[in-house]
Amino acid sequence: MEPMEDSFDEEGVLELPVDPMRLYMGPSHPAMHGTIRMVLDLDGEVIQALDIQPGYLHRGFEKSCERGTWAQVYPYVDRLNYVSPMLNNVGFSLAVEKLLGIKVPERCEQYRVILGELARIADHLTCNGAMTMELGAFTPFLWFLKVRDWVWDILEEETGARMTHSFGRIGGMAKPPTANLKPKVRALVPEVLAVIAECEKVVLRNRIFMDRLLGVGVLTKENAMEYGVTGPMLRSTGIDYDVRKAHPYSGYETYDFDVPVGHDGDTYDRFLVRMEEMRQSCRILEQAAGRIAEEGPINVDDPRIVLPEKSAVYDTIEATIAHFKMVMEGLKPPKGEVYGFTEAGNGELGFYIVSDGSGTPYRVRCRPPCFLNLKASEDMIRGGMIADIIPTFGSVNMIGGECDR
Amino acid sequence: MPSFKLDGQEIPFEPGDTIMRAAWRQGIEIPHYCWHPGLSVAANCRMCLVEIKAERPMLLPTLAWDESKKEFVPSTKPKLQPACQQAAVEGQEVFAKSKEATHAQGSVQEFLLLNHPVDCPICDQAGECKLQDYWETSQGKLKRKMTEPVHKPKGVTFGPTIVYDAERCIMCTRCIRVNDEVVGDHVLDMRERGNKNEIVLSPGRQLDHDYTLMSEHVCPVGALTSKDFRFKARVWFLRAAPSVCQGCATGCNDFVDFDPRKNTVYRLRPRDNEAVNKFWMCDDGMMSYTRVHQDRVTQGVIRNGESKSITAAEAVATAAKYLAKAEGKKVGVVLSAQHSTEDNLAAAKLAKDVFGTDKLYLAALGGWKADKILRHADNNPNRAGAERAAGGALKPVSELLKDVASGAVEAVVALGWASAEDAETLAPLRKLVATVSLSSNIGALTEVASVVIPVASFAEVDGTFVNAKGMAQKAVRAISAPAGIKGAAETISDLAKALGKSVAVAPADVQRVLATQEASA
Repeated sequence: MEPMEDSFDEEGVLELPVDPMRLYMGPSHPAMHGTIRMVLDLDGEVIQALDIQPGYLHRGFEKSCERGTWAQVYPYVDRLNYVSPMLNNVGFSLAVEKLLGIKVPERCEQYRVILGELARIADHLTCNGAMTMELGAFTPFLWFLKVRDWVWDILEEETGARMTHSFGRIGGMAKPPTANLKPKVRALVPEVLAVIAECEKVVLRNRIFMDRLLGVGVLTKENAMEYGVTGPMLRSTGIDYDVRKAHPYSGYETYDFDVPVGHDGDTYDRFLVRMEEMRQSCRILEQAAGRIAEEGPINVDDPRIVLPEKSAVYDTIEATIAHFKMVMEGLKPPKGEVYGFTEAGNGELGFYIVSDGSGTPYRVRCRPPCFLNLKASEDMIRGGMIADIIPTFGSVNMIGGECDR
Repeated sequence: MPSFKLDGQEIPFEPGDTIMRAAWRQGIEIPHYCWHPGLSVAANCRMCLVEIKAERPMLLPTLAWDESKKEFVPSTKPKLQPACQQAAVEGQEVFAKSKEATHAQGSVQEFLLLNHPVDCPICDQAGECKLQDYWETSQGKLKRKMTEPVHKPKGVTFGPTIVYDAERCIMCTRCIRVNDEVVGDHVLDMRERGNKNEIVLSPGRQLDHDYTLMSEHVCPVGALTSKDFRFKARVWFLRAAPSVCQGCATGCNDFVDFDPRKNTVYRLRPRDNEAVNKFWMCDDGMMSYTRVHQDRVTQGVIRNGESKSITAAEAVATAAKYLAKAEGKKVGVVLSAQHSTEDNLAAAKLAKDVFGTDKLYLAALGGWKADKILRHADNNPNRAGAERAAGGALKPVSELLKDVASGAVEAVVALGWASAEDAETLAPLRKLVATVSLSSNIGALTEVASVVIPVASFAEVDGTFVNAKGMAQKAVRAISAPAGIKGAAETISDLAKALGKSVAVAPADVQRVLATQEASA
């Protein structure tokens, strides 16, 4: 115990020595967006120090990939960012295709763009919708989820599943687009735009909303760069890095769209960037729906990469062997390693994959955007109030599946 | 050593080598069907065509597509050579992966699959079939000729062990050559040509010599299948443990193919060893794996007036109780020529350290028909190893019977199931104070024993076997022994413990036994 004299300041006021209060938030907390724990050191309401601890959701995703064939990785990547699994599917396909040195037909690229942008809209709707709800604005949340259901209706019709689609394939997609894709996408776009506009009307000038978001959870440009932050979170600080523009893939260079950037890097900016990105995704959707052909190949023309037609498997020995080799041993990319990266819902989703020339991945290392964004959020939350954790952390859009390290 | 270049890689060769053999020695595979390292060169499958760089290349006239003119124009292409037949020449440059060579290999592969039935789902070869492997590496295209394939006889019985499917056959003649050149029995030949081409038996004959399974072994496709292995397992579920054949004193190297999920051995496969068996094994050796699952002793037995089943641990305790009644010097210990050196060493130590007896015997099978190929007259895999473990020659079981009759032996501990004598001859052993049999399988010794202790078979425990040439070879464990059952060496150690003594066989002990004997031999 320190001597009492030391606790008097110059004016002779007694300052009682106070230890910071340690508060454990999560791993099972309704506002924590998944099983994640924050250890907070509080001085009253102010957060003096914090430690964000992911890892409660651990499935050993990367190690699991080293067991099966390359194609059997898809169900695992589905469960990375499970709010927009289609973007993960496309990202992994592109990485393996880079390793194989192949390019999918144009129709497949357009199909991937459409499904991917739908998934991006669903991702942003979920993030922004949840954030409004956590601030008490329940109505926009319900509107957003309504629209997300429409998006998922389309994805369900295309892939058979609303969330974990496992629809990507190396060298193509599992199935060609349905005849309903184009009209449904075209009908969806104005609906999305209308709901976004309506929501903005409700919340953007709302006093409570502005007070809770403006200037809260600020991320500086420098910090963002140092932490390797990507996606809407990076763009909210004013840096216009978007993989679709900086390193175009799937023909994104041919689409006319803008990369929205923020100014202050606060939670309000992140909200706005996501809203605007949905508008841009709608622009891309309209263009892609106009381009995609009714007929044409969806997969690369190589039976060593893409499974042959079932009828051919039953009737011809070559296709039987192709099927057998693909299913029993898996397709065999050449020895080597590549880093394939795409713009997923939360930023740059990278797959650093190593092949030893066999049918089983030697290593599938994932660069999950959430994991890097999550670490940067410590700086954003520190010094703020407990109540600010909720919108700030919400705007980071931490998805547990991606933080499986 | 002279050398040549294959696809840019320097390949050393011995004078007289072909390109294929030199590459094979370096572990490089040029696609091939008819060539086999242990057989003569036939050069009939044409899969190994390679391009050889020459100062004055032999060029064949051909037509090539000219993109600018949009028509075929006269051109030339190099004459390709079969790598299996072409002698390696100092300094020459060979290309097995050039555009022309891979195109030819793909075309040959396409021809071979032209009339091939869609059999992979029901074919035993699927998973280790060269047609599948080379489709992937050399062809990679779907069918172009959509006409009815040629049909030929299927499921033709070639003999007691082999079934032939002419539709799957690619006429590489490996089976004909293995019978001619390895066995020296011209029992198979080829009939007709073109679409009617098929392998046939010599008139009035069956494929029934001692090496019939080698015909199946060399078949690169699923044309010849073994009746024993047919439809039993899919090879991609099997794992292989390098082992040594238990059939005779030649000690052929083999792989024990087993399914780890079912803990079951499905077949043996010859393992190449130039010094022992080259590439081959005899039928009896190939079938010796059946002992792992047939006629097994899975429980301990006490015969005390009546016969009663007990657990292995109880059997050890009972055996110790019975043996304690006998005078140590009057205990006879029978080693086994069927068990590994480790097991025999444990038994020898049991005799010396626990009982203090010098009465060591050897139980062994009585020999079989030998030949000049592989089969040794002594059909025990480890007679030499057992003698090394005992530190000298061992007396046969007939001597044991004499000692029993004279009263010099009043109790017996016997390792193994094998003995040349039948149960009737061994009947005097029933009357002893104790006859303890440690055995994996049912045999004459287990029948006369008063206590039977089950032990692991050769596939269930690591072991070293010494063949007739004095070569010590390691057999690696494939599957696990049935629950509660241990290897013989470990069981002997347990038995010694139950008798209040200790017997331990360390790997170093085994090494010492093997090394000293090799030096003196």
